[in-house]
Amino acid sequence: MALNILVVDDSETVRAIIAKTLRLAQVPINELFTAANGKEALEILSDNWVDLVFSDINMPIMGGVEMIEKMFADDVMKTIPVVVVSTEGSKTRMEELKTKGVKAYIRKPFTPELVRSVVEDITGGFTDGES
Amino acid sequence: MENPEEQYKEVLVQVLSDVLERLAFMFAEQCSVDEFPASESGYMKTAMTFSGPFDGCLSLAVSSDMCVELAANILGAEPLDENVMDKAQDALKEFLNIACGQILTSLAGEEPVFDLSVPEAHKIEESEWKAMGEDPNAVGLLADDFPVLAALKTVNT
Repeated sequence: MALNILVVDDSETVRAIIAKTLRLAQVPINELFTAANGKEALEILSDNWVDLVFSDINMPIMGGVEMIEKMFADDVMKTIPVVVVSTEGSKTRMEELKTKGVKAYIRKPFTPELVRSVVEDITGGFTDGES
Repeated sequence: MENPEEQYKEVLVQVLSDVLERLAFMFAEQCSVDEFPASESGYMKTAMTFSGPFDGCLSLAVSSDMCVELAANILGAEPLDENVMDKAQDALKEFLNIACGQILTSLAGEEPVFDLSVPEAHKIEESEWKAMGEDPNAVGLLADDFPVLAALKTVNT
């Protein structure tokens, strides 16, 4: 099954890196949405079906933690798996995010192999080259 | 912490070299500022603050052509690509952001939580570049022959 994926990061460069990494990891993508902050992401989530969200934490206007809290207060959005992609390496912060419902935490810089492994764990796997 | 400035410099060189290699396939080594090649492209500086068990600021300055090369390598594009030129400053900020997270883990371990600011970047004049090079907290690196200056300053350590 090809996935609708939302990438949330205030850096255009990081959004491009994640898109490139998903392609290199051969993650099957139907549609790739991007947002520069949590507010933009919630607007996209309210108008579109999204299977998986990759989100940064530190962003202007609305950060990743506030966005995740709002997602989990919504009956539909709370079913969408969220993967946090961040520069921070604190295990305490990772545990906090997991208690908020975050499915996985990827630390920058990351490899296509790691991204693929995380997506496979969350989605239950996919066939190579499927798109 | 004994002689933290020297420890900071050691961590800066190690982490910046590692992140440059993993993120942008660029290879760096420590270099005396006196041995830096001259740059005619101008200079860019980016900085961010952090707060937690200790507070501080991490700053990084590079030549403008290094900034474009960094973006091209990160994005897998040609340096002369217009898209790369537009994203050069953003790529530099993201490089600093990633390095900052790694530096704080190297210094404080994996348990403490730090709040990081959003990096800011701007062009600097050669006089500011030279002043940063004379800062006793600064270290110099050559990354694929491009000059890089970095400095970490902390309070309440």
